[in-house]
Amino acid sequence: MSFDTPAENKAFAEKFSFNFPLICDTDRKIGTAYGANVDPQKGAQRVGVVIDKQGKIKEWHARVDARAWPAEVIGRL
Amino acid sequence: MLNPGDQAPDFTGRDSTGKTVKLSDFKGKTLVLWFYPKADTPG
Repeated sequence: MSFDTPAENKAFAEKFSFNFPLICDTDRKIGTAYGANVDPQKGAQRVGVVIDKQGKIKEWHARVDARAWPAEVIGRL
Repeated sequence: MLNPGDQAPDFTGRDSTGKTVKLSDFKGKTLVLWFYPKADTPG
């Protein structure tokens, strides 16, 4: 998820053939709700979130490594 | 910041293909979300 436009994220998704959707939060509403819109002059902070089956926050991290963290989380779920 | 046990904020957004993605689409599943500052930047 980022504040990028669909065109920017489409190019990114196609370059790396990601198997997950890239959500375009261009008005920063989702980022604001999830604590990732820390500096409105900049892109989103690298917040990582795990939401459980009941729709509750299981984990919230202020900064994650985008390369390692998703795989690490999925590996232990 | 959000804390474990908080209700996840509802959201509706569009993905890079124009498809609508909502929190409720993942009901009954565990969802992993992460934010990044800019498409195709390292870090």
